[in-house]
Amino acid sequence: MRRPWSSKRARSTEQPIELRLPSCLGYEKVAMDTAAVIAERMGFGPDRVAGLRTAVSEAVTNAIEHGNQGVRNAEVHVVMAIQDDTLIICVRDQNYHQFDRSYGIQRPDLQRALRGEDVGWGMWLIRQFVDEVEFTGVPNGGNEVRMVLRA
Amino acid sequence: MAFLDDALEVTSRRHGNVTVIDIKGDVTTFADAKITEAYTAATEAGAQKLVLNFHHSNYINSAGIAILIRIVTSCGRHGQKLAMSGLNEHFQKIFRMVGLSQYADIHETEEQAVAALTGA
Repeated sequence: MRRPWSSKRARSTEQPIELRLPSCLGYEKVAMDTAAVIAERMGFGPDRVAGLRTAVSEAVTNAIEHGNQGVRNAEVHVVMAIQDDTLIICVRDQNYHQFDRSYGIQRPDLQRALRGEDVGWGMWLIRQFVDEVEFTGVPNGGNEVRMVLRA
Repeated sequence: MAFLDDALEVTSRRHGNVTVIDIKGDVTTFADAKITEAYTAATEAGAQKLVLNFHHSNYINSAGIAILIRIVTSCGRHGQKLAMSGLNEHFQKIFRMVGLSQYADIHETEEQAVAALTGA
């Protein structure tokens, strides 16, 4: 496996990767593909990379749909940082609407969904596929989802 | 900007008395109309056994899951049997986690799904 960041020293001094995405559905794929490339290069296995893709996709989609509420000239800011064997990904929106940060702790009720009720799976899925997740706000406004993937 | 939102093709075909709906591309919120349209057309044509075939799909998000839950609900309402095929390991895992596998059997291949529905 190709590992350009093979030494701890090299990995810990990598510059963070920053993406500023249009707040428009579809662009979450740019973030998830970028995250996947980084995780693969760090040596994470296919299962964990696939899970990370889902987590990043859902975090950016939440930012677009719920944080920025579909405001087209808003943006989603994604920062990916490598600290030794840990990948930290922060997804920030511009907080046109703050979402419930406790949402997704409990598994959504499939029976309610089958009855046609609006049940969101995104934040619950994020929690399933990363080692640590934190939903906070940032000082200049905006929701931040901080996800940590550890080796 | 819409250049990332149209990567989906949904087609239907008959395999004996089973309707196979091939989903090629991303199963996201943009897929709702095409998948629902294909399912509705199959139902109106009298389909009682359906396979959703994801062989050429490698991105399903929570909005896509919500679409599939609606299909499962509708299949239950119409007394239809539903199976899914072609999902990679990750999405098979997600479907089990969500609970969809309780309502639609998940098979590796289309042939296995058709055989299970027809009792072959």
